[in-house]
Amino acid sequence: MDQLLQHLVNTLILGGTYALLGVGLTLIFGIMNVVNFTHGALYTVGAYLMYLAVAALGLNFFLALPVAIAGGLALGAVIEVLLLRPLRGQDIDTTMLVMIGAGIVLQSSTLWTFGGVAKAVPSPFPQAPLQLGPVSVSWLSLFVLAGALLLIGLTYALINRTKLGLAMRAAFQDADTAALMGVDVRGIYTATFALGSSLAAAAGALLGPVYVVFPQMGQLAELKAFAIVIMGGLGNVTGAAIGGFLLALAEEFGAGYVSSGYRDAMGFLIIIAVLLWRPTGLFAKAERIG
Amino acid sequence: MLEIRDLVCGYGHGTALKGLSIEVKEGQLVALVGANGAGKSTTLRAISGLVPPRSGVIRFSGRDITGAEPRRILAHGIAHCPEGRRVFPQMSVAENLAMGAYLRRDRPGVAADLDRIYGEFPRLAERRHQAAGTLSGGEQQMLAIGRALMARPRLVLFDEPSLGLAPTIVERMFAVIRAIRTAGTTVLLVEQNAFAALELCDHAYLLETGRVVRAGTGSALIADPHVREAYLGG
Repeated sequence: MDQLLQHLVNTLILGGTYALLGVGLTLIFGIMNVVNFTHGALYTVGAYLMYLAVAALGLNFFLALPVAIAGGLALGAVIEVLLLRPLRGQDIDTTMLVMIGAGIVLQSSTLWTFGGVAKAVPSPFPQAPLQLGPVSVSWLSLFVLAGALLLIGLTYALINRTKLGLAMRAAFQDADTAALMGVDVRGIYTATFALGSSLAAAAGALLGPVYVVFPQMGQLAELKAFAIVIMGGLGNVTGAAIGGFLLALAEEFGAGYVSSGYRDAMGFLIIIAVLLWRPTGLFAKAERIG
Repeated sequence: MLEIRDLVCGYGHGTALKGLSIEVKEGQLVALVGANGAGKSTTLRAISGLVPPRSGVIRFSGRDITGAEPRRILAHGIAHCPEGRRVFPQMSVAENLAMGAYLRRDRPGVAADLDRIYGEFPRLAERRHQAAGTLSGGEQQMLAIGRALMARPRLVLFDEPSLGLAPTIVERMFAVIRAIRTAGTTVLLVEQNAFAALELCDHAYLLETGRVVRAGTGSALIADPHVREAYLGG
């Protein structure tokens, strides 16, 4: 029972950042029909920005976080304007290849700049974990969960409560008609890609201090983000948020009750199962068009 | 008000419009009729900026709007109610109408227009929180019309508004379009239902393979032997 509780708490902590990663990726796919193979690299960049701000520049931890997120936002906007905007209207394979290339360039740039040795980001939280009865959880992890939930909440509010969000949803459902309503669809694409990128960078910036920061850290994160997005249904934001927690649940319980060696395999077992059983994702709902 | 000269437009290698010239005067209801593929929809898509013209000129209120972005053209006062209704299916009725007023900054005016449209179409008011994709075809068409009017346009382009609707709803819809013109908004209507469109309009153009082949008042075109034979069933 105690072990179960601990696993559930771990699931929540891990699931928050997974959800954050998935939401960013699914937004970009849903609205722009772009498979973002730079998502993992942006996650890495977010972690390195956090390292740079805290360890190298000595910035306050809580100030460094928004700086890292803003860095992801800016980098995403640059990638969109330089690479994706000229490729609008090309087929999805072309943009996919370009994004794979951009991801490699970004990852190699971090290797070139920071070297291959893993870096640690110092955290201001006490080392001793918080004990809640039988469950122990580190203060940093709690902060990571709170940060992830806050960012997901803000993203939801942006999409559902603002005029920019209304235009994003309109472009997602029907880009031509959105243009007829006066939406600057090109601008929406830039904003969407920047937003998705900033969420990837935020996940990296939040998890960097939990683990260590190294140039390849984004690879596994990206694969997991794809697992989450496929599980939730491509382009489904709520699905991706729930999918993040489901993947964390599968990993945590798979590692706890089956074998810890299979932790990272769980996500891919889930993808296979979902693709066989519900290829449109777990949360796809039928909708009337006519 | 709207003047199109020698418009050439196409998708890929094909040419959908091969030098089309039409004119719409302020306050008129003008119809474009013709068979499928004659270039009627392409004309509307070129006017609203969705299809960039290869050559030719489109002028609106004396201003050259050829090749301008859709949002600039809308800002000049041209709204487009697209073929197949194209409501945003996962948005509520209210959100769809809000999208129609996307460029407007005058909140009180938008609120007044919204009340007016809900008054005109009570079904939309009843279903304002419902997803537009769950409405019936007729309701979706009314929503698409209401959404176009929310921009408070000076000219509205209607593309096949009767397509796929039950006959009683089609009648209602043509009455709505006539009322829009009576209220002072200029209308350019594309219709496959040639007889209904010719009866409704002040002036009409018959398009065949990307060109205007007949022009005149609605009644003149109804009387034209070529039109009678090819489009009105003899």
